[in-house]
Amino acid sequence: MSYKLPDDKDLDAMIGIVGKEYATNNKAITASYLSKSVMGLESQIPDIVVRPKYIEEIRKILLYCSAEKIAVSPISAGLSGGFACPTIKPAGVMLDLGRMNRIIEVDTENRYVVVEPGVTIGELWAYMHKNYPEWAPPVPDGAPPASTVMGDAIDRGFSLYTSSVGPQGDNFMCGEIVFPNGDIVRTGSWALPFAKPFYKYGLGPDIWSFLMGSQGTLGVMTKVAVKIYPHPKFKTVVVWGMSNPEDMQNLTLEIGKQEFGIAHNTVMVQGGNYPLVMTRWPKDKVPHDYEFYEQLGISKWWMNWECWAQTQEELDYVVNRINKMAEDFKKNRAKDPDSIKPQELHPKQIASRLKKPNKIAVPYAFWEAGFLFITFYTPWNECAHFAEMYTAAMEKYGFPPVMWIASIERCRQAICMPIICFDSSKQSDLEKVQDMNRETTEYALKQGWLNYRPDPYIHAPLTYSQAGMYWKYLRMMKKTFDPNMIMHPGRLALP
Amino acid sequence: MAKTGMERLKELKKEIYKCIHCKACRFAYSGEPSRAGIGEFTGKQGTVLYEGMIDACPAGIEYGWEAFWNAGKIWIARSILSGDLEFSDEVRDVIMPCITCGQCSAQCENKIPTVDIIESLRAACIESGVPMIEKHQLVDRLVKELNNPYGGKAEERFKWAKDAGLGKYINNKNAKVGYYVGCTASYRQVEVAVATAKIFEQLGIDFTLIEEEVCCGSPFFRVGAVDTAQELMKKNLEAFKNLDMVYFSCAGCYRTITIDYPKWMAEDEKLPFKTMHAFELVSKLITEGKIEFKPNKELKGKVVTYHDPCHTGRHFALEMEQEMIKNSKNLMFDMRKINKAIDEWFEIPRVILRKLEEDVGIKFTEMYRIKNNSMCCGAGGGVRAGYPDFSLRTASLRCDEANAIKADILTTECPFCWRNLSDANDQYNHGMQVMGVLEMISKYNLLDTSNLK
Repeated sequence: MSYKLPDDKDLDAMIGIVGKEYATNNKAITASYLSKSVMGLESQIPDIVVRPKYIEEIRKILLYCSAEKIAVSPISAGLSGGFACPTIKPAGVMLDLGRMNRIIEVDTENRYVVVEPGVTIGELWAYMHKNYPEWAPPVPDGAPPASTVMGDAIDRGFSLYTSSVGPQGDNFMCGEIVFPNGDIVRTGSWALPFAKPFYKYGLGPDIWSFLMGSQGTLGVMTKVAVKIYPHPKFKTVVVWGMSNPEDMQNLTLEIGKQEFGIAHNTVMVQGGNYPLVMTRWPKDKVPHDYEFYEQLGISKWWMNWECWAQTQEELDYVVNRINKMAEDFKKNRAKDPDSIKPQELHPKQIASRLKKPNKIAVPYAFWEAGFLFITFYTPWNECAHFAEMYTAAMEKYGFPPVMWIASIERCRQAICMPIICFDSSKQSDLEKVQDMNRETTEYALKQGWLNYRPDPYIHAPLTYSQAGMYWKYLRMMKKTFDPNMIMHPGRLALP
Repeated sequence: MAKTGMERLKELKKEIYKCIHCKACRFAYSGEPSRAGIGEFTGKQGTVLYEGMIDACPAGIEYGWEAFWNAGKIWIARSILSGDLEFSDEVRDVIMPCITCGQCSAQCENKIPTVDIIESLRAACIESGVPMIEKHQLVDRLVKELNNPYGGKAEERFKWAKDAGLGKYINNKNAKVGYYVGCTASYRQVEVAVATAKIFEQLGIDFTLIEEEVCCGSPFFRVGAVDTAQELMKKNLEAFKNLDMVYFSCAGCYRTITIDYPKWMAEDEKLPFKTMHAFELVSKLITEGKIEFKPNKELKGKVVTYHDPCHTGRHFALEMEQEMIKNSKNLMFDMRKINKAIDEWFEIPRVILRKLEEDVGIKFTEMYRIKNNSMCCGAGGGVRAGYPDFSLRTASLRCDEANAIKADILTTECPFCWRNLSDANDQYNHGMQVMGVLEMISKYNLLDTSNLK
């Protein structure tokens, strides 16, 4: 596929749509949108950046670019963490949607909030905390506060309620999208002019789900209705430690499989290994031997259950049930029973873990100079296998074996995230990361494990090469909305 | 051999590559979205919710484009180092309107020294042949001709001292303690210079004003005119070399001579004297029980707030943090100590304000953004000279924050902050008094030294 390199005439057209204050090809400004970290190492300086404010502006931009065959990549506002799909080759026009930052409606009876793409998770959290303290939005834990609600939605990933209610994409009821053919479509019940966004599956076959994971390759989302949940006062974190990922996997599964009751109270269930603690500090400023962490009371592996309840009595019940089940698991089914023990947290540690949103995932660049999350979905009962495979690969390539794992929908799936801490200022390190990425992806695909946010040059091509029919239909459907294939070309091995 | 801007930038490469573009750096209290505050307030610059995390990068707020927020600039620096971008007028015009307040660095979980990076980027930009903006060229010309950026005559640098009856301290040969006055207090906010010198006198300090004192070079380090800055640095080091201790009343000068000089000096050179800001001295004497304040009817009941100057507050805190990180063998253990040291640093001026509350009867009330999360006054980084409208709007934003807590008096401890806040206070009718803390002590004759031995 070939695309037109935008020129001054195209910039004038963009200025004609949004005004000269909001469209530029200034080289310093366009370079500032680069982002080669966290979720992907691919990023290209866009040729033009446009900052629209209104849907009609977006519609005109897409129609123009489609007619001229200019590539368009939308970003919501946060570049990494919640939305990490910057422009890649062939660059073209980047749409920075940060000016579309209204929190439009909060409905506590139907339990949703309607936001535009530029609303950050920090802003929404603060807004709800101030105006609706009894309710909380499903913000992702660890994604920086400047990442966006919508960016996280489209990635259909992880949030603070994920273990209880399912993938983040399921927390979104209805959306509004502008397609490059100029159509503005509302999904779910929103497709009816007077309907509230109360039912995502709306009018027959569901278009919203088709947009999930699209990484900006289909159109531009301009509004979403996000579920909100009660924000009770009674919260705590229960932690059990162990020596190996199998015990972590199996104990967690036993609790998740309860499905009702405590499985729903444990809103966020996440764990990992001790290098998760170690690599948040500079490589030459912390001990590397496990003995040091053991003395601090940190197990080799552990799992956190973040519990929310409406009363203290209910919370005590949940904590006691988890502890009883863990004791029973230790006694009867554990691979290494002696290693299984509760980790006592200081109230300050609990408060710190309960704080949302937070910057907990940011400092992995402190270890050297940069990091990459290479995230996969696996069936829960295969996450230990994934962890063993991936930590071995990281050690083979000379990276610390950092592994984070969280439950989705009461341990139906696992989101497994190796954190590759490396020195991104060194070309040799970048090459090692990509070599490892390719090798592990090939292995993972053979196991049937899926990438969370497939990168454009390794994950997407390798994945679709094994799912040809799916890719064929994906491409055909994209063509319907995006006849000239201008939306974020290459991002999902499309076109 | 002094370093070039590009050499400094290359030294900082690994720090630059730590930026993951998370953009937490655009906010004050970036890790505290639920932080309790004072609610929404509509001031002269619009409505701001002083709760939770809050946009605090002046350039980002003013210009909006990604390039003007800190993370954008760090990625511009990376693009320069990687060869994806070359220096040009376009690059200069994006990196210059930054006040280098360091809010971004204070928020960064990867401890990226953003101020160092932006200043080195600017220096490398000017070295590459891109001309300075016209207004910076003008002050550069002035300082080369007159050793100060205000166009003041050298012989009038200490006119304030003679006028205030403090002339005996000029070239006081016996003193081993100096008072580095700086250009702003010498030529513009002379109240600050007089107040500081009088307090030294009341405290019985035998000090000297050095006639060969020239501009510290702060504006030139900030805007990338490093050659100019280094020339000034050499003159000052020569002029003050025989002193044991140099006191300051200007946050910018204090920061420049204490933090910048050693960075731009050759590796085998060291600062030949100790440095201290006058407020540190006063605070120390209060803590030691050596000085008190006298009650004052005029000030009693007045709501007084304090603006942390970036140069004495955050810049020192960040420097302290970097130094302690460098020397740490186990940062997991030492980070608590670092945070404690930073908090203690920010408490120093507050010791004075609390004592004023106790003895004088002022009502000391904090603004929402304080200490490491303090909002900049808008004057630094060459912005007041280069982009005066933006600079004043930023100062007015800060005055709005003081208005939000109903402050009668907005105090600070930097004549440059004083100037900008005062100008915004007048231009936008914020209706407060702007005053230096030491100026207040001197003006109202509050100092009680009867316990001083």
